[in-house]
Amino acid sequence: MSKDSIVIAGYAETAVEFKSGRSAYDFAGEAFADLLAATGIEKAVVDGLSVNVPLSECANAFYAVYMCEALGLSPSWLNYGGIGGCSATGGVARAAAAIRDGQAEVAVVLSADAPSTNWSANYGAWRGEFQDPVGVLGPPAAFGLLMSRYEHQYGLNYEALAKIAITQREGALLNDNAFAKLKKPLRVEDYMNSRMIADPLRLLDCVMFCDGGNAFLVTTEAKAKEFGIGKMVRPTAYAEVTNFKGADPVADITETGFSELAPKVFAKSGLGPDDIGSFHPYDDFTIAVMMQLEDFGFCEKGRGSDYVMATDLSCTGELPLNTGGGQLSAGQPGLASGGLNLAEAVRQLFGEAGGRQVANRQNALVTGIGVIPYARNWGTSAAMILEA
Amino acid sequence: MAEQKNQRPVPKANRFVDTETFWQGTKAGELWLQYCPDTKQFQHYPRPLSIYTGKRNLEWRQVAGTGVIYACTIVRVPGPGMEGRLPLSVVSVELDEGVRILGNVMNMEPDKVAIGQRVELAWDAIDAETAYPAFNVVEA
Repeated sequence: MSKDSIVIAGYAETAVEFKSGRSAYDFAGEAFADLLAATGIEKAVVDGLSVNVPLSECANAFYAVYMCEALGLSPSWLNYGGIGGCSATGGVARAAAAIRDGQAEVAVVLSADAPSTNWSANYGAWRGEFQDPVGVLGPPAAFGLLMSRYEHQYGLNYEALAKIAITQREGALLNDNAFAKLKKPLRVEDYMNSRMIADPLRLLDCVMFCDGGNAFLVTTEAKAKEFGIGKMVRPTAYAEVTNFKGADPVADITETGFSELAPKVFAKSGLGPDDIGSFHPYDDFTIAVMMQLEDFGFCEKGRGSDYVMATDLSCTGELPLNTGGGQLSAGQPGLASGGLNLAEAVRQLFGEAGGRQVANRQNALVTGIGVIPYARNWGTSAAMILEA
Repeated sequence: MAEQKNQRPVPKANRFVDTETFWQGTKAGELWLQYCPDTKQFQHYPRPLSIYTGKRNLEWRQVAGTGVIYACTIVRVPGPGMEGRLPLSVVSVELDEGVRILGNVMNMEPDKVAIGQRVELAWDAIDAETAYPAFNVVEA
């Protein structure tokens, strides 16, 4: 680790709540205050801020500036991240670039949203004119279409999707921040009997929109040590792509942006799928988890069902998966969503995961997914490797 | 039983980009799509420029509306404008002109609709004046 290595030198995460009655500002304030307390740094040293565009506040074009006022910050670098569930890992990568460019020294990547309390998003353009009339009102119908195509090309064992849901639920049972009502064990029959939303997509394949927030301290290793911070992880590889194959009108929708990102992050870090200590894929739907297991080479394309059935994905297993329950079982804190997967990865590498602690604390792979487009899979894909 | 009130919003043309020809076509029972004459490729939904060349050299052409079901689902959850339509067969159709379009299947029970079936153009009434392009499965 060189002296100017960029590190994540602290994290904070609020509990996930449903219809909390609170705002993104309030969750952000809680996460930010907790981050200062956890790292012991003074607020005045923070000179960079990255926030996500929240569904609950996006009618305000000046949310990021308002947030600086709300927190009493005067940053020399400010980023307003509109790539949905990629905004947290993307925020860390952008903060790292800004620090290397000298625009900031101590940045906070702050994600918060409260869409189950207040919804201010308006999906314009093609959505209302060409998608709403046919009844594709949101991600579930789009993922029903995607699952149908995946099943047609490769076959799909619903018990494997059930296992993803059940494995992650076991993690949520041990997660104090998980949404309380989701904290009950799942059985295969619970999954199979959960109601169809958009065939073959069932209720237990889906996340639940909730409220919450999270925060990460991004700085240099030298600066973190100067602050007396002992625990830190290095984001050693990051890659992102938006609108993958966007100019191919008949692209195979089972092929995702992650197929392009996986070789990049593995090459940059020098790691391979067999080296990964824990996997924290963005999990808006179970099929997205399975497709990422394939795209990152944990198994061959199309063999996700067999791999999941044959592999222990628990925190003590061969490939620990979304060990805190992921969004599927902890709840999706709106578009602070990607930060939930990232917080769990950092928590694992810091050795602070308690009863769900994984043995391999050398590295973790975290991903993000942002935005569901017209008749495709997803808009933005992001992947980050963290190393101890 | 109370009469189902149709609350389907009728989209407005040209709110974001030029879509007037598409909507005029629907009134005549015709499907018109955006076409890039430089690459001889269609694009759907309509864009502010050609996604193939980055130029604003675009035309509109009528298409047959025939193709093959590429992906299919059955939407079962209510939402705005879904009153009286559930369960609803939603398909992604790969048109013979080489572009995909989302639509509903009008002539078949949703659970009989399958990937690979050939379809032809049909129409789904949004309200008394407006119809939206949909599809009928062509029986083999």
